[in-house]
Amino acid sequence: MNIFLVLVKKEIKELLTRQLLISIAAMLLVFYVIGKVVGTQHKASEARNSDVVVLDLDGSALSKSLIGRLSGAGYRVKKTSIPCIDTALAAPEFKDDGLFMLIPAGLQKGLDAGRKGGIGFYSKFTNFSASATTVTASKIRRTITRVNDELSVYVLRKRSPSLDAGFAREPLAALEFVMVGGKLEQVSLGQALASIQSQIFFFPVAMFFIVILAAQMVMTSVASEKENKTLETLLSSPLDRWMLVVSKLSASALIAGALSGAYMLGMRSFMSGITAQAAAGAALPAQAALAKLGLIIAPSGYLLIGLSVLFCILCALSIAFILGVLSDSVKSIQVTIMPLMMLLMLSYILPLFIDINAAPLSVRLLLYAIPFTHAFTAPQNVMLHNNAQVLWGILYQAGVFAVFVTLAGKLFSGELLLTLKSPFKKA
Amino acid sequence: MPTPALSAEKLEKKYGNFTAVSGLDLRIEEGEIFSLVGPNGSGKSTTLKMAATILFPTSGKIEVFGSDTVGEPEKVRKTISYLPEEAGAYKTLTGLEYLDFMASVFLRDRAKAAEAVKYGSELSGLKDKLKEKIGTYSKGMTRKLLLSRAVMIRPRLAILDEPTSGLDIINGYEVRKTIKQLAKDGITFLISSHNMLEIEFLSDRIAIIYKGRILACDTPADLKKRFSTDNLEEVFIKLAQ
Repeated sequence: MNIFLVLVKKEIKELLTRQLLISIAAMLLVFYVIGKVVGTQHKASEARNSDVVVLDLDGSALSKSLIGRLSGAGYRVKKTSIPCIDTALAAPEFKDDGLFMLIPAGLQKGLDAGRKGGIGFYSKFTNFSASATTVTASKIRRTITRVNDELSVYVLRKRSPSLDAGFAREPLAALEFVMVGGKLEQVSLGQALASIQSQIFFFPVAMFFIVILAAQMVMTSVASEKENKTLETLLSSPLDRWMLVVSKLSASALIAGALSGAYMLGMRSFMSGITAQAAAGAALPAQAALAKLGLIIAPSGYLLIGLSVLFCILCALSIAFILGVLSDSVKSIQVTIMPLMMLLMLSYILPLFIDINAAPLSVRLLLYAIPFTHAFTAPQNVMLHNNAQVLWGILYQAGVFAVFVTLAGKLFSGELLLTLKSPFKKA
Repeated sequence: MPTPALSAEKLEKKYGNFTAVSGLDLRIEEGEIFSLVGPNGSGKSTTLKMAATILFPTSGKIEVFGSDTVGEPEKVRKTISYLPEEAGAYKTLTGLEYLDFMASVFLRDRAKAAEAVKYGSELSGLKDKLKEKIGTYSKGMTRKLLLSRAVMIRPRLAILDEPTSGLDIINGYEVRKTIKQLAKDGITFLISSHNMLEIEFLSDRIAIIYKGRILACDTPADLKKRFSTDNLEEVFIKLAQ
């Protein structure tokens, strides 16, 4: 067998331990279970989302009509004869209900007299989970809008019987257009945002995981060889030292790639559970518009993003390789990896909160100097049709990789590998 | 005059301000078992590492079979095999996989590598244990495996740093016997140790090293005679005083 393959095979055997496989399998299982549970819970919440408990103290034709219209609009209205809202909120039969509506006495009379009606909407939290709070907030907004619509139709009909109340209430047929990277399409902003977020939210998390995993692997490989002095044996052998460097980087990249693939599958399962309703996606015409806008990434876009991610991993590996040389033992990796971790955090977190291109020059320079930023922002740039920026980023990453891998090779060619001491080590 | 297996001239190694080896001169003939003897921190391991091309001299030079360790390290590496002190092995590999891996690293010829693995397996005496992962080995078993690895490729010069450290009396004795036998077959040995008894039994010649300098270099018998003592420990004490 080719000596390079022999080295890579040995590295893989060293890195791919049973403990690592078990921990990855456990993580995938956790993702899968959480995704499933959250998805099931979400469906249950959605079912409960149409429930509304109504205390009709008005008992007028209007209030009865309003309740009927709500039922016709898909609400599951639970009428109660409990006269006090406090008692209703605490009633055992409504222990799982989150929305209560109190129609006060005199509502119809007041509206007829031209006074604003005051319907009470009561939200009751049964827990503080993310899904519960989102559902309750959206449900309240939706219900208030619906009730207002019904009442405005009633008022319009009452005051101007000849008027088309539906038209008067909503004379505007809103046509929403979205422009991305110079391309204009008719699609709702909500759909565009949902499409962007579904592709961008998942990506940096997976990227962060891949890079850290790959970096830790190569650092462990170098540090354990140093610690066990197996490196001294290899360095005194006729092996080309560059081959040692490249084989370690290749093995780490291979394993990180395979594991990150598995991780992405788990993450996808997790996300599809969480965004179950979003996964249903937009209607077909909207999908076509989103694709034309570039918000559904094309294969060529994925190729660019993939290249950027590949060079990001290679940069991280070459930097981690040098940090591994600085590590005196496998245990010290936790400390030695910190500089890489900090760079990664900066390039991961900052672009989530700021518009890099609108940031001050110093911040922009700092972020773009970190090779990982280019990979984190690649999907956004591809969606915005800034392919040239992605390509420049890839070139820059390739340059950084070349510099650090040369440095790593130089370290392996000299004696610094054995004599260099970690700056993080206590004197 | 034949080319020596190893020669060092005014060899010096500094780590910052600390001088580990100072003005060391050595000449080791082919087929010889030559030992560097001295306490911990005396410069033995540093000298061995310079011979193994993994450390560079600050000044002076060291040659292996006429090749400079700094100028022609690739040539040197083809003739040597180095066993570091307290070295470990890849714990996730089996003993056999380790020998096979190392044979592939040192010998590109597949047939020669297979032959070396067979020889190394026999030398190790680990038998069926070779099929188990190195992580399950005792310290002594690991050391025997590493020693077998170091000599299975039949290098022209074997550089062994504390070869029997961690071995019990029986295993230590067997290793010493093996080294003697391999030397008869033509392998040159450069060994470091602070075990005077071991060195006396093994070595054709020894150099007593202390604080980076060679205090004396001769056969064990001549050294004892010169210092009128019965053992090398006393020779060292007299030299160090």
